[in-house]
Amino acid sequence: MKSQMKDILPSILITLVLLIFFEVISSAFIPIFGIKEYKLPFHLLIVLHLGLKLRTPYIAVLILVIQYFHSFFSVEGWEMGTIAGVIICVTISYLKDLIHLSSIGITILIVQLFQLQWLVIVSLLIYMKGGDAAYLTDKFWHFVPESIVISILAPFLFIVFDKIWSIGETDFIGEQG
Amino acid sequence: MNLSGANSQRAKVLINTSVLLWSLFFVTRRATHIQKTSAFENFMVDSFAPLQKGGSVMNVWTSDKIDHYVTNIDASKDNVDLRQTISKLNNKIFQLDEIARENKRLKKLLEFGVTASHRKVLAQIVAWDSSSDFKIMRINKGLKAGIRLQSSVVTADGLVGYVYRLTENFADILTITDANNRVDGIVERVRAHGILEGRSHSKCQMKYVTRTEPIILNDQVITSGLGNIYPKGIKIGTVSRIERESYGITQRIEVSPSVDFSRVEEVIVLVSSGNAARQQEWSALDGKGSLGRK
Repeated sequence: MKSQMKDILPSILITLVLLIFFEVISSAFIPIFGIKEYKLPFHLLIVLHLGLKLRTPYIAVLILVIQYFHSFFSVEGWEMGTIAGVIICVTISYLKDLIHLSSIGITILIVQLFQLQWLVIVSLLIYMKGGDAAYLTDKFWHFVPESIVISILAPFLFIVFDKIWSIGETDFIGEQG
Repeated sequence: MNLSGANSQRAKVLINTSVLLWSLFFVTRRATHIQKTSAFENFMVDSFAPLQKGGSVMNVWTSDKIDHYVTNIDASKDNVDLRQTISKLNNKIFQLDEIARENKRLKKLLEFGVTASHRKVLAQIVAWDSSSDFKIMRINKGLKAGIRLQSSVVTADGLVGYVYRLTENFADILTITDANNRVDGIVERVRAHGILEGRSHSKCQMKYVTRTEPIILNDQVITSGLGNIYPKGIKIGTVSRIERESYGITQRIEVSPSVDFSRVEEVIVLVSSGNAARQQEWSALDGKGSLGRK
């Protein structure tokens, strides 16, 4: 349990640097190769990693910080992602005894499921705000390939994030309170 | 700060609830047509955007290295000087060709809308929005170049969008293919009015067009000038699909933008003079300004 700010600050700073790197890749480098329609939501993967692996009471604040930095690269803003992230973390805390990221396959599956939950929450918020459901179809068709790529990348990037947050093999969710 | 046990759980619930409520409050407050940023946000965007701009610079640099160094690495030593000369000349020719093509493009851009009473600011696209839900482009000009929020953005082919978010050196353009963008348009041939909304990367939907309007495929759609954002008469696109039923009030029209958004490299930002005075007049007409209250 990381309940002290001094345990969190260095890790979140490194995570933010990594997030900026990924956002630049997604917004400036990938479009160079002609892929302008699909953008990889790395911020979502970072939020899911925090939710799945980190035990701290400040999780909501960390998600807010991640989403705030994401908003410098997207007009999406930080609000909807923060709401989705916090709700997902609450869901994870209820399901923690059922979730064990014990293999690559399971990690991919769990990340994909929580991305689906993210899509449902954000779509609901967009619909409540704009009242236009037609836009959500387009969003869904973007979500399918993007989420699959993110899920496949998840097991490998989680290893990097684990090192940043000093999370060991025994720190998998479900094995600690 | 150190939290443990029951205190930690209580703190977690409290922080989660606070962050959720805080976010919900800002979701409801967020305007969809414009995004005003704080000085800190401007600073952050201005700091990170050059990294994004580095993407295109890196691309040119890498291509240059591959084309002019790696492919020549096997050349015999006797031919090094000659090859270097050829390489330099080829590079120069390539650069000149590129400059010629760019000149042609820019000339075409600047010739566009010569009669319009707007100051034109030429800008390059440096990045796209990092979320695929939004069709936003980031350009390398901002407040310092005289650009203002809600300035129209065009290319020689037609309308691109308007300035949605602005910092000192960069601006985000909400393109007409974004679902949050609304453009008041006219079908040029029959002068039928409608509102265009973004649908996907290459399509817009024209809403509220009366069913009785005799619109046909390939009709040109232009801006009407209503709405105080886009000047009148800018080409938006052509009608690519019509769904007209024997009942109902309106017909469903799909418009293909005349701008190919996958190939846009440079754009022109149209900055109208006297924006402040115009804004005041509009506020007065809307009943928000001091004139309107009198």
